Formats: sequence, structure tokens, C-alpha cells
Amino acid sequence: MKDGVVSRTFFLLLFIVYMLVPILATYIFSIAVRWDRTILPEGYTFEWYSQTFQHPYFIIALRNSLMLATYTVIMNLILIIPAAYIAHTRLPSVKLQMDLLTILPFGIPRVILALALITVFTMPPITRSPFLLVSACTIFSMPYMYRPISNSLEAMDLKTINDAAQLQGANSWQILIYIIGPNIISGIVSGSLLVFSAIFAEYTLAVLITGARFKTLPMLLVEFTRRDGRIASAISVIAFTIAMLLSLAIIAVTRNREQVPKR
Amino acid sequence: MSFSGFRVRHPGISKVIDSLWIVPFFLFCLIFEIIPILVLVRDSFVSSTGTVTFSNYLGLKEPVYMLSFWNSIRLSAITAFLGTVFGTFIGYSILKTRKRWLKELFTALANVTTNFAGAPLAFAFIIILGANGVVTLIFAQVLNIQLYPQFQIYSYAGLVIAYTYFQLPLMILLIIPSFAGLQKEWREAAVNMGATTFVYWRYIGLPILAPSLIAGFVLLFANAYGAYATAYTLVASKLMLVTTQIAFVIRGEVIHDPGLARAMATVSLVIMGICIAIYKVAISYAPGAEK
Repeated sequence: MKDGVVSRTFFLLLFIVYMLVPILATYIFSIAVRWDRTILPEGYTFEWYSQTFQHPYFIIALRNSLMLATYTVIMNLILIIPAAYIAHTRLPSVKLQMDLLTILPFGIPRVILALALITVFTMPPITRSPFLLVSACTIFSMPYMYRPISNSLEAMDLKTINDAAQLQGANSWQILIYIIGPNIISGIVSGSLLVFSAIFAEYTLAVLITGARFKTLPMLLVEFTRRDGRIASAISVIAFTIAMLLSLAIIAVTRNREQVPKR
Repeated sequence: MSFSGFRVRHPGISKVIDSLWIVPFFLFCLIFEIIPILVLVRDSFVSSTGTVTFSNYLGLKEPVYMLSFWNSIRLSAITAFLGTVFGTFIGYSILKTRKRWLKELFTALANVTTNFAGAPLAFAFIIILGANGVVTLIFAQVLNIQLYPQFQIYSYAGLVIAYTYFQLPLMILLIIPSFAGLQKEWREAAVNMGATTFVYWRYIGLPILAPSLIAGFVLLFANAYGAYATAYTLVASKLMLVTTQIAFVIRGEVIHDPGLARAMATVSLVIMGICIAIYKVAISYAPGAEK
């Protein structure tokens, strides 16, 4: 059937142009000497990158963002893996509630989550602290961690595995670490990467919960969009390049997992 | 003492031990999600002097808050509609791409661009469509069309363009599995009976796809409604949205009544709840979609 080739090509071209032009423009802007009077930049330079790296707040913000993303991944791993494992193996009644709780954050806009947390946690050590921010990020990112892990668990014949292992005298920890773990590792890896890249780019929760006292990379970026667009474009490129590499890693991990049964 | 490593526990005890594994998760959700949200909703019915009241909700009748809701709902509906329509056509075009590597490349593009949102996205559109942006310059110098001052990227139209950018890849990734529900045999049968492409889509394709399209639309609607970073970077206080209004109260940039923010948040949660309910119903009728 030949019909629709023209319109399909049109939609695909539209898709490519619309998606790629803003990204490419940001990359070019970050190495352009000047790009606001002519259609092509007036020369190229790495000056804005060197200025970015020399900026006192850049390293702090980068470190804060990396720390925030790392702690959020760790919190997710600690909370989700044991609970998901038990819910899928021995407490099926809990699984439904867990499914629901891990979808719920999608229905709560981050602005509202931040408002709720600030309303409730008003006492000094915790209010507007990085700890509260990590907790908020963990709530928000739970679906990203739970979904891939839940999918990997559902792909296994957990009941048989569990019974066999228990019969051999393995305790819950041993079953989880030596048997379940290796089988759901691709789910854990892609879940962790998803959480990491979501939180690394998270602006809303950070600016509303901790504000200026815990500056993250997206916060620095927003500041610079108003002060110096060239630095802003350099920060933007750095942040997006990291996110892009992470999501390509996720694609690679999920592809490997899908190919396993075919071998 | 056990003989061979066997340990037989009382079933009740092992149930208790099993439960201990899930306690941290539920406790965490309770403390940092459920209770704060419930307190927020409760406090929206409490006045600044501590009495039960509807005054916070009555205060929302002020034009500025009505406008915020109207702006948010309209922006979400327009960009969800654009995302649904174009996302569906693009998703279908990707699915029909013959070359495997090309198909994977398009899907990867949709995957990667979901990360380009928030502040970086808003800034990118300032670079290309700002007063001195490259697209603005191309229009002015090549096509001799002056976009400014009629058009502004720091405006409602700018928000529509930027929001549609993050809606598109989401819809594409959502809709592609739904096309699997359309079986090739049905199309062949329809064509054999003399149906044209239009007739096939009107009477077979679209009705089968409808639940997935509705589910996609409400998901995109909720996605746009809750967005904040893109709007703040692009329009800040120039345009009232529900999320930017609530954020102003938290950031203390504008003197606002916190009670009003809580009422706005509660109304928004109801809107989100309706979206999720529609999504759940629609997706249960959708073939091939992830339940």
C-alpha cells in the first residue's frame, strides 16, 4: 500500500524539526560568539563554558544536583525493592495498595506537594531542609522506580522460586540478594537511571522547598536565563547532555532485557 | 536447634515479619504524601483565625483567581489537544516506517526529548523565537515577515508552543502500543468489502482507538496543568496560572493569603482526580495499552 507516504513523511519531518531545532539552537548558542543580529552566529568560542566552570556557584549547584539525585535514588531503592518484592511474592493484597500509592504522585502537581509539605513540616531542623527536599523528590519519583521493578518481578515465576529457595533453607534476605536481585537487576538499573535523570533536572520542588539555601543546577539555569543567556545556554547543554546520555543508557538496558528470552 | 537448616515458623509470625519489609514504604508515603495532602485539604476550610469556613473558596471568585484557573485549564486543554492529534499522527507514521533502524531512531528521539522540559525548554524557545531569536530573524530577513511585536514568546502563544513540545513525545510513546490493538486482518477485511481509507478509519480504526486517545488526552491535560518550571521561566508573573499563583505564595514574592493557595490547591486536586478517574475508565477499554 502506497497511500499516505507523503503525509507520513510530512508528519515525521515536522516531528524532527520541532523536536530538534530548540535543542540544536541551544547547543549552537552556547558556542556562538554572538547570535542575535545574524542568521548564522558571528563566530564560535568556548568562552561561555570556561566562564560557566569558573563561576563559584556552578560547582556547588552541580554537586547539589548530583547529591540530590543520588540520595533520591538510594531512598527509592531502600523503600521500593523490599516492599515490591514482598508485595509481589507473599502479600498480594498489599500489591494493589502499592500500585495505587506509586501512581498517586502523578496526580499531585509538584507545586501542590511542595505547598503541602511546607504547611505540615514547619519545625526548624526539617522545614525547608535538603532532607525534606529528598523526601519530596522520593515521593515524586517513586513511579519511575516502581514500574520497571514491578514489571521485572511480574515476568518471573516468583512463587515457585520462592518456595524452592525456602525449602532449601534460604531466608528472605538470601532469596532477595542471591535469587531475585540478579533477575530484576535490569529493572533496578533502568528505574534508578529514570529517577536520577528526573531529579537531576528537577526545578519546581527544589526552588519551592529549599529555595536559595540549596541551589541546584536548574535553579542556577533559571537565574541565568534572566542575567546572561550565554551562560544559561552552556548550563542547559551540560544538563541536557547528561540527561540524554542517561536516557540512551535506559534504552540500552531495556533493549537487553527484552532480548534475553529470544536467545 | 534445627537439623538441616530448616526453620519452620508459625505462619502468623512469618506474616508479621513479611509485613515489616513493607512498613518503611507505607510509613514514608503516609508521612510525606498522604498526611500532608490531607492536612492541606483540611486547612483550606480553616480561616486565618482558626474557625471552619468556606471563605477561602469564596475568595477564589475574585477575577484574578478565576483568570488563573481559566488560563491553566485552557492552556492544558489546547496543548493536550495539539499533543493528542499530532502525537497520534506522528506515532502512526513512526509505526508504519519500514526501516527498522529508522523506527528505532524516531522512538529514541521521542524518548530523549522527554528530558528536554522545564527551564531548558523555555530558554531554548527564547533563543529561537525571542525578539532576536534565529527563527524570528529568518522570518524578518528571509521572508520579510516581522513577528514582533504582534507575537511574543513571553506570552500565552509562547506557552502553547513550549508546552506542546513536551506533550508531543509523551503522546507518541503512549499511543504507539495502542496501535497494536488494530489488527491487520480488520483493515484487509474492510478493504476487501470496498471500504476506503476514510471509511476504515471512521468506522473501525477510530472507535477502537478512541479509549486510548481519551486516556492520552487527560494524561496530557494533567501533565500541562501541573507544569510550573516552563511557565515560570517564560512568563513569570506576566501571565496568571494556577501553579505560578500557588508558587508565589510559597516563595513569598507576592503577598497572598495562604488560605487562598490551599483552596486553589484543593480545587486543582479535584481536577486532577477527575483526570485520573477518566484515565482509569478509558484505559480499561483500550486494547493493547499498558493497564
